[in-house]
Amino acid sequence: MTARTADTAMAAFEHTTARWGRLTMIAVLVISIAAPASLIIFGDFGITVNQIVTAYLAVAAVYLVFAVVEPVTYFPIVGQAGMYQVFLIGNIANKLLPAAIVAQNRLNVKPGTRQGDLAAVMAICGAAMVHVTSLLVFVGFFGTWLLSIVPAEITEIAQLYILPAILGAVVVQAAVTVKQIRSTVIAVAAAAFVIYVLLRVAPVLENFYVAIGVLITILGSWFLRKKTVTPDPETGAPQGG
Amino acid sequence: MRIQDRKDPGMDPATSTDIWAVAQSPLLWICALLVFAVIGVQSWIYVRAAKRAGEGIGMSTEDLSRAFRSGAVASIGPSLAVLLVAIALLTLFGTPAVLIRIGLIGSAATETASATVAAGTMGASLGGEGWTQQVFVVAFTAMCISGGAWLVGTLILTPILKRGGSTLQKVNPAAMALIPGAALLGAFAILTMNELPKSGVHVVAVLVSAAAMAVMLFIAERFKANWLKEWALGIAIMVALAVSYFAHNGA
Repeated sequence: MTARTADTAMAAFEHTTARWGRLTMIAVLVISIAAPASLIIFGDFGITVNQIVTAYLAVAAVYLVFAVVEPVTYFPIVGQAGMYQVFLIGNIANKLLPAAIVAQNRLNVKPGTRQGDLAAVMAICGAAMVHVTSLLVFVGFFGTWLLSIVPAEITEIAQLYILPAILGAVVVQAAVTVKQIRSTVIAVAAAAFVIYVLLRVAPVLENFYVAIGVLITILGSWFLRKKTVTPDPETGAPQGG
Repeated sequence: MRIQDRKDPGMDPATSTDIWAVAQSPLLWICALLVFAVIGVQSWIYVRAAKRAGEGIGMSTEDLSRAFRSGAVASIGPSLAVLLVAIALLTLFGTPAVLIRIGLIGSAATETASATVAAGTMGASLGGEGWTQQVFVVAFTAMCISGGAWLVGTLILTPILKRGGSTLQKVNPAAMALIPGAALLGAFAILTMNELPKSGVHVVAVLVSAAAMAVMLFIAERFKANWLKEWALGIAIMVALAVSYFAHNGA
C-alpha cells in the first residue's frame, strides 16, 4: 500500500460520492416537490399561485438564511461526500454527527483524517438506515396506533429536553475523540462569548450564531496552535504534488 | 385576514377540516416511499465506495463495518426522540407528509414553525381555527419548497467549498489537519451553550448527559469495554431525559 494507491483510492471515493451524492440529492429534491405538486394538480383545492408564493415567502423570511449558512457551517466538519448525506436527511447535530463521533471514538481515529472520514461516512450510512427503517416502521405502520398509547407527558418531555440531553454527551465524546485540548478550551470560550456577550450586544446575529462560534474556534485554534507540531501524516497531506 | 366561512362544512376543501382525507393520498404515499428508497440507494452506493477506498488506504472491511454498526447503534437514542415527535405530528399532517418532512432535512421544530407561518398567511392557525384541506396543502407546499432550499444550497455551495478546501489543503496542509476537529468542537460547544440559558432543567439535562458520558467513556477505557462506546450516547440520553422528567415535574 503506497501513498499513491491511497491517493488514487481516496480520489475515486470522492469522485463516486460526489457524482452519486449529487444525483440522489437532485432526485429527492424533485420527489419532495412533486409530492405537494401532485396534490395541487390532481386535487381540486382552489389554490392560487399567489397563496403559495405568499406562504413560501413568509416561511423563507425565517428559514432561507439557514439553507445558506448551514452548508457553509458544516462543510469543514463533514467534507464533500458527507455534505450530500447529511443535508439529505437532516438531523445533523442531533443524530448524524453524533453517530460519526461515536464511530470515530470507537475506532480511535480522528476527524479530518482519511480513516476518520471513511468511518464518518459509514457511521452516517448506519444512522441513515436506522432513521429510514424506524420512521417507516414506527411512524409509517404503527404511527396511528402509537399516537393513541404514548402519554402526551412523555412526548412533551422528549420534545423539551431531547436536544440538551443529546448535546451534553456529544460534547464530551467529541472532545475525547478529537484530542485537541487547545481547540476544546477555545471552543468553550468562544461559545460562552458568543452566547453570553455577542448575542446580547448584537441580537441580529442570532441566525448565524453556530457559524460564528465555529469560525472563532477555527481561527483561535489556528493562531494559538502549538507551532512545533508537524502535520499528522494520517491526513495524507500531499507532499509536493 | 380572512374570516372563515363556516356555513358549509361539507366537502369544500376551503372549509373541510378533514385533513386526513387529503393527507393519506396514495400519491403522497408513493412520494414518501420513493424518498426513502433514494436515501437507501445513496447509503448503499456510499458504503460500497467506502469499502473500495478502505482497501486503498489500508482500512479493513471489519473496521468499516464496525463504524457502520457504531453509527447505527449511536443513532437509536436520537431516533427515539425524533419518532416520538413525528408521531405527535401525525394528527396535523397525516402519515406520508410527516414521513417526507421528518425523513428529510428539517426537524419537528422547523416544520411546525414553517406550517404555522404558512397557515398564518391564510388567516389560519396550525391544527386549530381554519386548518382546512386548502390551508394544509398550501402549508405543506411551502414546507416542501423551504426544505428543498437546503438541498439547493448544498448542491450549489458544496462544489464551491470543496474547491476552497482543496486549495487550502495544497497551500497549507497543517490547517486542514486542524480545521475539521476544531470546527466540530466549535459547533457542538456553541450548540450546547445555547441550551443553557433556556431553563434550569436544560442545564440539568446538559450536565447529567455530559457526566453520564464521561463516566461511561472512563469505564470503557479502563475495562476495555469497547461496546460501551457505541451504547454510551443512547444511555446518556435516556439517563438525562429521566432526570429531566423529575426535575421538570419537581421544580
